[in-house]
Amino acid sequence: MATTPLTMFQKIWDRHVVARAPEGEELLFIDRSLIIEGAAFLGFDRMRIMGRTVRKPRQNIAITDHYLPTLNRAAGLAGIANPEIRRVIEMQEENALEFGIEHINMTDKRQGISHVIAGEQAMVLPGMLVTCNDSHTATSGALGAIAMPIGASNQLSHVLSTQTVWQQRPKMMRVNIEGIPPVGITSKDIILAVMAKLGIGGGAGHAIEYAGAAVRALSQEARMTICNMSVEAGARIGMIAPDDTTLNYLNGRASAPTGEQWEKGVVYWRTLPTDADAAFDKEVGVDVGDMIPMVSWGTSPEDSAPITGSVPEPASYDDPIQRQRVEQALEYMQIKPGTRFTDIPVNQVFIGSCTNSRIEDLRAAAAVLKGRKVVVPAMVSPGSTGVKKQAEAEGIDRIFTDAGFEWRDSSCSMCNGSNGDIVEPGSRSASTTNRNFEGRQGPGALTHIMSPPMVAAAAVTGKLTDVRSLVQ
Amino acid sequence: MTPFTTLTALAAPLDVVKIDTGMIIPGRYNRKYRRPGFPDYAEAFLHDLRFDTAEKLRPDFVLNQPAFQGAEILVTALDFGCGSSRETAAYATMDFGLRALIGVGFGDIFHSNCLQNGILTVVLLQLEISELWRQLLAKPGSKVTIDLENQTVTTPEGNIYAFDMDPTRKRRLLLGQDDVDVTMEYMSQLEAFEESYRKEMTWLNL
Repeated sequence: MATTPLTMFQKIWDRHVVARAPEGEELLFIDRSLIIEGAAFLGFDRMRIMGRTVRKPRQNIAITDHYLPTLNRAAGLAGIANPEIRRVIEMQEENALEFGIEHINMTDKRQGISHVIAGEQAMVLPGMLVTCNDSHTATSGALGAIAMPIGASNQLSHVLSTQTVWQQRPKMMRVNIEGIPPVGITSKDIILAVMAKLGIGGGAGHAIEYAGAAVRALSQEARMTICNMSVEAGARIGMIAPDDTTLNYLNGRASAPTGEQWEKGVVYWRTLPTDADAAFDKEVGVDVGDMIPMVSWGTSPEDSAPITGSVPEPASYDDPIQRQRVEQALEYMQIKPGTRFTDIPVNQVFIGSCTNSRIEDLRAAAAVLKGRKVVVPAMVSPGSTGVKKQAEAEGIDRIFTDAGFEWRDSSCSMCNGSNGDIVEPGSRSASTTNRNFEGRQGPGALTHIMSPPMVAAAAVTGKLTDVRSLVQ
Repeated sequence: MTPFTTLTALAAPLDVVKIDTGMIIPGRYNRKYRRPGFPDYAEAFLHDLRFDTAEKLRPDFVLNQPAFQGAEILVTALDFGCGSSRETAAYATMDFGLRALIGVGFGDIFHSNCLQNGILTVVLLQLEISELWRQLLAKPGSKVTIDLENQTVTTPEGNIYAFDMDPTRKRRLLLGQDDVDVTMEYMSQLEAFEESYRKEMTWLNL
């Protein structure tokens, strides 16, 4: 009997369908639910109002990341001056305790950004269906899982009450990334190029699988940067098939199975990659063979271009709505069409966020910084306490601090400023983060997103810089 | 959750396109605690449209006009509730006292968040919305009736407009059910699923 070739997405999704509602939504079983503190209190309050309990406490993990300070952490809660921020962190602790959920809190040695520690601790394994109340949840899809964002209130309380979620099955898109990237190109450059090609709505309603020789050649951490930004193209799910790179990364990590159970898992995980001839609703190709490091110039991640270029003319856009949007973006960003990117000065830089704060990101930035000095204020917030410790063991912290960087603790920090680490109004930042939206890093902040080495290059020159001109 | 059947209530017109969720509840309110059962986000609702930077009421803004105080229905323009997925936008809408939104179209996630909280969202044609706006401005303070069972909107001057409604969502609103109530109806399937899943995926230690 011939079987229909299936995509990885179909294999994992189908295995989690509990029921199908008459109108087409499907009830999906959730292997693991990560709960971050941002607005999760609304979900827990709803549980209380409705008198509901957590159905599978062991499959839920609370994590505090967005609101944690990056300084003075030894002082604990007392070190947080803003009472609203302190209260959000307290509520997460209280709610986890009351509802019987493990909490990776600010003093836990596993502490870190949820989408960083999910992989680091092997909380996510191939074939899993994972939810988290944060839009960058797709990051963990790089482990060959379906990792989806959910709402912090109703959907979260539904997950807590039932360990399931109702979802409409998305369409499937494959992004084929081919070619061998030149030296100096990171997975951040690759995903920014994909964003520029897809546009902010290009992935809407789709689960994206990233495939191709260039993806296979990427390290596991680099793959997470790719999946992380799926939502910037409107896709809630981004995935990469598990392979030896994935298994070598996971094997031996804290929550990974061991011995016979690991072997059983491996047998199943090997069945997950998309079958030859499986059909996608949409396929897109990107060649990275002659890629140039990317920077963003506008207020949407799709507004990204090679560093060797210049700020586009709004008139070059055919679509009048896009033209108007680009005009507004340039006005907000205070840059003129035709300006060469390398002539744009920056006032500060930030290295961190769930996109680019892992050990390889820090190593890549440090390679540029070694023996150089920053000329603008610069800070780095490692993706987890574990990453921070490892960097310190490798002496990378010294390279950062010798160059003039502030070496902070781990938090979502200046990516969206919810902990108070913000880019001041009108200040221009080169950032390794995922969103250059108006006001994302703080009210009136002007953000250019790029790779960690590109941010390091901007830090030492004080302007957007082609990192290849500094490193041969 | 309060069942939604028929609502006859004061309606206010809001002819502004693309009011995104960040305008419905500005980001700075997201870390503000909302006490269970208290309308703590009422102040946040469309805050920067209702108040100027000195926190003074903008008297010309439609929701600040005396005739529209206490409105329970808002008649909105295209793409109301687009933008970020923040669920607090639905809470702010509810806390402000609104029980239904009638509009040309709503942001997808906002739309479903409203329905989850028992706020009915009704989509009508732009022509019908424009006529509603005209009638509400001609006689400020007049009432509109929404009949969910029969899927009709009755304007102050007596026009009756029919609207489409997903049957599942309609049933849930009429019964006052949220998603968890619905899922509980599938409990035997869920338990059977878990049993077989746990046996197969032993390495997950579920």
